Amino acid sequence: MKPSQTLAQVSLFAALMAVFGLIPKIDLPLGVPITLQTLGVMLAGCLLGPRRALHAIVLFLCGVALGLPLLSGGRGGPAVFLAPSAGYLLGWPLGAWVTGAVMARLPAASPRTAALSAVIASALGGLLCIHACGVLGLMGIAGLTARQALLGTLVFVPGDLLKCVLCALVVHTVARGLPDWRLGGRSTP
Amino acid sequence: MGSLYSEHRSWLHACPAGLKLGVLALLGAVLYAMHGVPILGLAALACCLLFASLGPATRPVRRLLRALLLACVLLLGLHAALGQWQAGVLSVLRLLALTLLSLAMTVSTPPSALLAVLESALQPLQALGVRSERLALQLALMLRFTEHFFVLWRRLDDAHRLRTGRAGGLRLLAPLTLRMLDAARRVADTLELRLGD
Amino acid sequence: MPELQNVTLIRGQRTIFEALSLRLDAQRIGLIGDNGAGKSSLFRLLCGLDLPSQGSVRVAGVAAHALSRERPGLIGMMFQNPDEQIIFPTVEDELALSLTRGARVRKDALQAARQFLHARGLGDWCPRAVSSLSQGQRQHVCWLALLIAKPQLMLLDEPFASLDLPGQYALDAEVAKLDQQVMLSTHQLEHVRRFERVLWLEQGRVRADGPGSEVCAAYAADVAQRQSQSVAANAAPPVAAGDRD
Repeated sequence: MKPSQTLAQVSLFAALMAVFGLIPKIDLPLGVPITLQTLGVMLAGCLLGPRRALHAIVLFLCGVALGLPLLSGGRGGPAVFLAPSAGYLLGWPLGAWVTGAVMARLPAASPRTAALSAVIASALGGLLCIHACGVLGLMGIAGLTARQALLGTLVFVPGDLLKCVLCALVVHTVARGLPDWRLGGRSTP
Repeated sequence: MGSLYSEHRSWLHACPAGLKLGVLALLGAVLYAMHGVPILGLAALACCLLFASLGPATRPVRRLLRALLLACVLLLGLHAALGQWQAGVLSVLRLLALTLLSLAMTVSTPPSALLAVLESALQPLQALGVRSERLALQLALMLRFTEHFFVLWRRLDDAHRLRTGRAGGLRLLAPLTLRMLDAARRVADTLELRLGD
Repeated sequence: MPELQNVTLIRGQRTIFEALSLRLDAQRIGLIGDNGAGKSSLFRLLCGLDLPSQGSVRVAGVAAHALSRERPGLIGMMFQNPDEQIIFPTVEDELALSLTRGARVRKDALQAARQFLHARGLGDWCPRAVSSLSQGQRQHVCWLALLIAKPQLMLLDEPFASLDLPGQYALDAEVAKLDQQVMLSTHQLEHVRRFERVLWLEQGRVRADGPGSEVCAAYAADVAQRQSQSVAANAAPPVAAGDRD
């Protein structure tokens, strides 16, 4: 792929993360916030493939590190990498990479199989991976025990499962609208 | 959409960006190694004083202080609910100290300086396919695309409202993605022409 | 001076051009024709964005597709939608990009961009955010970013499409002042009537090639004729079987 195309796509998905961070948080009844940024990670992985998705999320995190208020709630600056939830943040690039790597290996012959593959890829990368990193972060930074951290993270799992489905729907639309798009960054569509 | 950098010069503005970033990382590690409430309390106080010493330069981030306090309360509440008061206090003190330190750094370092530091810090990732040069260009593109997303979203939403009488919401995410992927293709053409490769 | 030799371009199932040969030597060349005739495709071949399936496209003696570092100095293109061309958030940074080609923005490039804007009386545009400019102003920024790179050949793909009337006259005047070769595609024929050479493209073939006034008149007449033919065909009532006796 031409470097200009890579550059454009990577910046585009970094922007998508920013957009998800800038729209106001949706709060569920119990006061649990739903942020869409993990959806951005899943979409980047499924649509760009491991390398470019990693690049996109790293680019986004650079913007955040530079002080741009792009995390949901208007947060930004290096401080966010030292907060208790930093584990989740650092899990994003890894999650994007894993999602992309899985998506590239699963079948995507028709829009429907592509969507199913997207659910699996997002669940493995966007959900499992990110939560694992988040739990490690909670243990290391907030000093929670493994059990406490795991319980704490479980609250967010239903919302993230929904995002896997949303991701699959978008992948389905892209597979239909742009049939020669290389899902997961594979070499042939 | 600006950054959190302040044009009011403080004493910290004169320090080079790489030094500040390095010291921040070091202090972060040190703070996690400390375990006593009195000593962490002192450290947190010192950080508060440092932050306050920047004076008017802290204006861009003052509203974030509210969010920081809220996060501290929530963290303390979480630990209290688990019956671990002391761990909670320690966590809060660390969070306070580190956040204030990095906010101080953010307001006193111009984005271009941080950019240069980040570019060199990212070089090891080139092996994984992350291109660290042209970081400024990539960030600029990211911001332009972010603006473009919102403009397109509003346009799609208007069209949706006219045709169905309801707001579009997340339903528009899929068509929006398609339009933006298309726009990315055209932007790639422009990049190829203007950058030469 | 760009040159196409025996160029065939196939995109998917469609053949856009077949064995097209052109020597584009005039200083001002207009490109007119229906949508889908191949105007944008021709520009993309000249820029080197697309590779012909057969034949060669050369600019200043070099294959267009092989150009890389030298390309911005040789060819510049202005696309229709300014929002998809402007990359940096501020005007001065955007113009400086044309000079630095993506490497870190150098102080001297920024200086040169500011001087360029001041010389045109647009000094107050320097720090302005592109998002605060109107559509016409944004297109002007694209134009300036193109000019500051000083390419030998400028391709303008329907530049008048979103400009108001004063904006169109202003762009006309700017184009007239330029030293370099300009190729311009448009649906507003009056802008290319005075050009020394206008190409009328129809389904990938050059239907007419000559002085602007003649080719524009011929194209306009052809469109009018097709229009009246289709109106006549739609107006005539169909003869139903039961009408005959």
